[in-house]
Amino acid sequence: MPEVAISIESLEKHFDKFHALKDINLEVPDGQTLVICGPSGSGKSTLIRCMNGLEGYTSGQIEVLGLPVGDNALVLDKVRKQVGMVFQNFNLFPHLTILENCVLPQIRAIGRDRKAATAEAMDQLHKMQVEAHSKKYPDQISGGQQQRVALARALSLKPKIMLFDEPTSALDPEMISEVLDVMQDLTRADMTIVCVTHEMGFARAVADRIILMAEGVIVEEGSPEQMFNDPQNEITKEFMKVVHS
Amino acid sequence: MIEAVPPPSARMSTLNWARKNFFATWYDAVFSIILAVLIIMGLNALIGWAFLDAIWSVENKDQCTYDAGACWAVIESRGRLILFGLYPYEEQWRSTIACLVVISTIALSCLPVFWSIRRIPILWIAGFTIFVLLMRGGFAGMPLVSSDQWGGLSLTIFIFAGVFVIGMPLAVLFALARRSNLPVIAKSFGFFIDIVRSLPLLTILFAAAVIVPLLLPEAIQGNKLMRVVIAFAIFFAAYQAEIIRAGLQSTPKGQEEAAVALGMPYWSLISDILLPQAFRNTLPSTINQAVITFKETSIVTIIGFFEVMASGNAAIGNGEWGNQYVEVYVFLALIYFIFVFGLSRYGAWLETRMRLGHA
Repeated sequence: MPEVAISIESLEKHFDKFHALKDINLEVPDGQTLVICGPSGSGKSTLIRCMNGLEGYTSGQIEVLGLPVGDNALVLDKVRKQVGMVFQNFNLFPHLTILENCVLPQIRAIGRDRKAATAEAMDQLHKMQVEAHSKKYPDQISGGQQQRVALARALSLKPKIMLFDEPTSALDPEMISEVLDVMQDLTRADMTIVCVTHEMGFARAVADRIILMAEGVIVEEGSPEQMFNDPQNEITKEFMKVVHS
Repeated sequence: MIEAVPPPSARMSTLNWARKNFFATWYDAVFSIILAVLIIMGLNALIGWAFLDAIWSVENKDQCTYDAGACWAVIESRGRLILFGLYPYEEQWRSTIACLVVISTIALSCLPVFWSIRRIPILWIAGFTIFVLLMRGGFAGMPLVSSDQWGGLSLTIFIFAGVFVIGMPLAVLFALARRSNLPVIAKSFGFFIDIVRSLPLLTILFAAAVIVPLLLPEAIQGNKLMRVVIAFAIFFAAYQAEIIRAGLQSTPKGQEEAAVALGMPYWSLISDILLPQAFRNTLPSTINQAVITFKETSIVTIIGFFEVMASGNAAIGNGEWGNQYVEVYVFLALIYFIFVFGLSRYGAWLETRMRLGHA
């Protein structure tokens, strides 16, 4: 049995009257790449945002690396230091340079000194092939480059788990592949990854497991082979047909 | 073959420019000419009054009549009173240096290099302390000058700087408190801010000067100037807090989420990520608030402070220069203009700078 990175038990989430997540049970083993897909409004983003406490929940249990994700700010803090997140809209800090975007969180979150933080940041920016832009500001580079900087920023904190919330949805089509390429390199490393995406080609290529959500419920889960070639559920069949056409 | 026609000259000659903008139609022409005549007459009168027919030195004081031009001799004679109020004559160099220190502090804090949560407080506290030490004296052979004797331009600048230095941190505090997740704090600060904003400044200053001493024991009531500056600062903070709050609200939610997801602590989220963006987003309003505050310092006259406006009035109040009130008011207007125009130009420069790149 591999170690469990994320475990979720009977999770319920309400936004006022809207029932966003219904009895979610999920285990992500260490090192697995899990892709969450499904039509919009199905609760994928809400689920992934619950995993690092950006979103609270009504009832149930979430454990990340053995730590209970809940109301305790100290525990949440420990969780967030080991869980990186990349957002749909990049969310780089617009008033800081690319380099400072990657350096400051290291100093503030894990107390690294500036010299070490700069070295680490440059190393990550190099891996993401954006180190040439380190002195620029976020709005001076393309969306694809910004997303790779956001990835470098998260990775320079050396997280054990990476969460991706629709990382390519806000990108122009020609920039999607440059981001997926660097993400693919990550999936080969032994990092635990949870990714919400509509890029089914990417999902098929890198996922160890795919789950499909609809209306706040996990409808079906399985290996990419299973999900693409032999879907059992009607909703999955319908969804696969739509994304393939 | 047909030769290519050269493009029409893009630049207009002066004559064409004048024709297009001033003489396009017959009524344009009439208005242009009438306005030109009025402007020339006005300028002529102004230059004649202010420069050509002006009397500059006190020796020629008896030539100052209604027929002559501006009698700038009044400034020579009364300038020190206007600038320094009742500050002792021999010690006025201290007031001058103190003023220059505060002005350079203001100028330095306008430079983006100083815009950090560490540098700005150090700069402000240093500048403010030097000002108070110099003005007050009482050490190193400098005789003590109590704040009752402070006056003129240095008092105006002191009040302005004091209000800004005390009011700005208060404003940040108020804005954060009003956004607090704890309803008790958010509601009570919201209520307090709205109360302060609905009271006239004059009432608040009167209360600080006259009523607070009746309520507080002598040991903690401080002197009148201190109370008035603090009350003014609270008034300023209530308005500035709403500006900062607007700036915080205009910062996208994703900024906070990114910082939180990266594990950055709350104080860092506020001071490194949200406040810098909030201040950048609201710079025009903040500068506007600073301009208003500078002009409103003249209100303290009413509770017996001898700031630049009051000392200007005193300069013409004793009969000797009673006829030269226009000159004195023009001089005062110039002082205000230099400060306010400087602030406005600085604001415009910042906006261009931020539009082009980054501040």
